[in-house]
Amino acid sequence: MGLLRYTVYRFLQAIPVLIGITIITFLLANLAPGDPVRLMLAGQEVDEELIETIEQRYGLDRPLYERYVTYMAGLIQGDFGHSIHRNRPVTDLMLNRVGPTLLLVLSAYAFALVTAIPLGILAATRRNEPTDHVSRIVALIGVSTPSFWIGIMLILVFAVQLGWLPSTGLVYPWRGPDGYDWIETWPELIYQTIRHLLLPMVALGTLQMATLMRVERTQMIESLQGEYVKLARAYGVPERTILRKHAFQVAQLPIITIVGLNLSTALGGAVLIETVFNINGMGRLFIEAIQQLDYQLIMGITIVIATMFVIGVIITDIAYAYVDPRVTYGEGE
Amino acid sequence: MSEPLLRVENLKTQFFTEAGTVRAVDGISFTVEAGEIVGLVGESGAGKSVASMSLLRLVENPGEIVAGEITYKGETIFAVEEGPDGELRERDDVLSDEEIRRRIRGNEIAVIFQDPMESLNPVFTVGGQLREFIELNRDLSNDEAREEAIEMLREVGIPDPEQRYDEYPHQFSGGMRQRVLIAMALACEPSLIIADEPTTALDVTVEGQIIELVRDLQEKYGTSFIWVTHDMGVVAEICDRVNVMYLGEIVEQAPVDDLFYHTKHPYTKALLNSMPRPDRTVGELEPIEGMMPEAISPPAGCRFHPRCPDAREVCQRVHPDARTVAQAGDYPHRAACVVHDAFDVGYDESVPLEGEPQLTAGTPSSDDADSVDAPEVREDGGEDRE
Repeated sequence: MGLLRYTVYRFLQAIPVLIGITIITFLLANLAPGDPVRLMLAGQEVDEELIETIEQRYGLDRPLYERYVTYMAGLIQGDFGHSIHRNRPVTDLMLNRVGPTLLLVLSAYAFALVTAIPLGILAATRRNEPTDHVSRIVALIGVSTPSFWIGIMLILVFAVQLGWLPSTGLVYPWRGPDGYDWIETWPELIYQTIRHLLLPMVALGTLQMATLMRVERTQMIESLQGEYVKLARAYGVPERTILRKHAFQVAQLPIITIVGLNLSTALGGAVLIETVFNINGMGRLFIEAIQQLDYQLIMGITIVIATMFVIGVIITDIAYAYVDPRVTYGEGE
Repeated sequence: MSEPLLRVENLKTQFFTEAGTVRAVDGISFTVEAGEIVGLVGESGAGKSVASMSLLRLVENPGEIVAGEITYKGETIFAVEEGPDGELRERDDVLSDEEIRRRIRGNEIAVIFQDPMESLNPVFTVGGQLREFIELNRDLSNDEAREEAIEMLREVGIPDPEQRYDEYPHQFSGGMRQRVLIAMALACEPSLIIADEPTTALDVTVEGQIIELVRDLQEKYGTSFIWVTHDMGVVAEICDRVNVMYLGEIVEQAPVDDLFYHTKHPYTKALLNSMPRPDRTVGELEPIEGMMPEAISPPAGCRFHPRCPDAREVCQRVHPDARTVAQAGDYPHRAACVVHDAFDVGYDESVPLEGEPQLTAGTPSSDDADSVDAPEVREDGGEDRE
């Protein structure tokens, strides 16, 4: 099977998973205690007739499986239902919020990879030297400190004390300079995007950075002890090339896996970071939806985040198959 | 006799561990002539691999070559001299690390490792790895190196080399991978190839094919080999001369026929008796009793005496060096055993050690003063004749 066919195959495989996700989400939302209609009318006098009208309007009087089928029919057409609380289509609400979250998560990963890989290699080549010990301590702190706390500390130092960087919000490059009345040119827009992104990116990326750095170190140490490295040395390959090519390539395989699997942590972390930095992303929308018991919105966001995670894992698998020639694509040729 | 291709004199390589100094290679001397296959035989832990890697100055931490002299084609790979303060230091004519890497490793002395499964990098194509080493060690362009790589793959008997060039190591069987490693070594056109147990990880049938292949190619290219193995059968089949190692020392050194038919050291005898031979019908094989002691605390006296069936009291005291005990054609037959006349230490008068040889690892020397080196006796003039 070629890589392309493998890709298609993996995406097809994801369909049952996604259906499973919708079923579980739907059941959890609908079987949870509390009646959304009564909640909506909370504080008002209970008018049984009104309740019935509303239930009929939203189809809540019909059996669960029928409601699920209706929901799925909408979902396939990209309709996540209607937010009762905000009186707007859930799809519209989410579309406005996906961009910031993706920007945040992807930049956090970029930050984590760009810092973790060189630091991990450095620690591996200077094993048990001071550099290695420092990196170990940094990684330990990074893994054990909650991201929101790092976020708050970054705001305190760089925004409040030093005043170097803004403490809230993001600037979205896809809106263009016209989208902001205080920004005029593209370079300015990019500059502002980066300025706003720096603190939340570091806050969210530190945990990933710490994890990846340790994995990179371990993998490089193992790879550098490989027979193929011994062979390369015996054939006079310069140490630089061994590090950059022979040992490095093999060491990157687990990194790809970890990046994919940690996507769930990163998406979860985004919820907190968006709250700390007042970013209007999916995470904050999620928190608000939960506080308001906006079931349709909660379901929509859960499904979207779960889908993102599934897609992330698939991309990881494909990347792995692309990088590691030993991975066989499914049931052979 | 002219200067040999490779001369190793009194090489010592030690590992400085927390538990103490491991004397992995403890003063070995041997030579390799152009076009011959020299065996380095011994049990696991005898120091064969460390010795062979020392020749490329590729001893891994915490190991270090501490003494001796390695000369290759008149160039000094390693040598020490006494400094003005009496401390040992590297001699000035020793090749620098950079020179060793550029001029010796690969293009002069190439290596074939034991484990063909692990020796090739899993994420690069076989052809790509081959080409990289060829480009590095010979002045060839990218395309020429590719041509050469395909040619070498054909030479070592890999079918469809053009197609297999672009395949990955996991798509090759163990035997095929070992062929690739042999192609790698030969493609760099070295004068000496160190084959470190190249057939140990292979099936016996594949082992036979590989040995056949190496013998053919060796005849064709005239490359010298150092063949590291623990298998006396392989030695008999392929080697011209043999060095038997025990606990970091060479205990016997002879041309292959003399080693097999006029064995001079009890350890070699024991090795030969412990393997099945078609030319001798024996009821049962005789294993060598006990374990080889650790090189960190070798037994006093002769290092083999705790396991030696012929050990006498004197063997506990006298530490024999390898001396010429017979002449075998152009080469001396050396052995490090006091039973020979070259050692005048009174073996014959000495009392045999009680009972069976010890089954456990040897008693480490509690007091080093007990162990004395054998006094110099030179009854034959053949000592320094190569």
